[in-house]
Amino acid sequence: MNLEKMMDLPGALAAFTYSDKGELQSHLLREGSGLTAQVLDLLARSCVANMAIAGMEARGWEALTGHNGFDPLKGFSVVGLEWSVVVDGNRGVIVKNRDADYEATFKALQAA
Amino acid sequence: MHIVKQLMVIPGVIAAGEYAYRGDRFSYQGALTDELARMASILCRANTLMVNMQAEIFDSFAENCGCRPVQGWIVRGNKLTICSVGNYFAFLDSRDELLNDVMTIMRAKVGDVQDDLLVNLYARLGGNTKEALY
Repeated sequence: MNLEKMMDLPGALAAFTYSDKGELQSHLLREGSGLTAQVLDLLARSCVANMAIAGMEARGWEALTGHNGFDPLKGFSVVGLEWSVVVDGNRGVIVKNRDADYEATFKALQAA
Repeated sequence: MHIVKQLMVIPGVIAAGEYAYRGDRFSYQGALTDELARMASILCRANTLMVNMQAEIFDSFAENCGCRPVQGWIVRGNKLTICSVGNYFAFLDSRDELLNDVMTIMRAKVGDVQDDLLVNLYARLGGNTKEALY
């Protein structure tokens, strides 16, 4: 899925891709969103960190409890006051909370 | 009705609970043992602290950009999903048409998380936590 299509997701304010190290590779910002490329750059690094930590927690939870189902991870989202960032793989979308469709966004990112 | 009870009546919600921001208490309902609920509470509190720290950094680069205070987070697994809003958490099936409902209910019932969340998370530091943080 390219960035233009990611921006068609409900409530999308920004879409971006990043490297395995968290370096911002490409992005689109909706005008008036109040977001900047610098915030996206930091956000991309946090996305890599959060996915890694969530992966460790998922593996640990499964090993300790025998409850399977988390691994492999299909994404991570942080819900802010006004917007949420939804990520999977090396892609992320920022969506307005009031319009957010988390399931559709996770699905779209997985299909990409 | 209490938030946890409301979540537990939704088909597909496996367990739900609440933990104290200061990290010394938790309660839950559903398919967890006391020990698993304790571990889940620690995990949720740690992730909440982490994403709030990140949001503080984002906000220092773009003030009032809409990220803080963080309201919650979602870990989407292959078959299981964890949602956390404020100091509540829910374990649910990763099936269709469930996550949005759970998030809508949690956001509506918990309400907007306020700016004092970090202060509460660090409350066990003792002394004037607000002064120490800001």
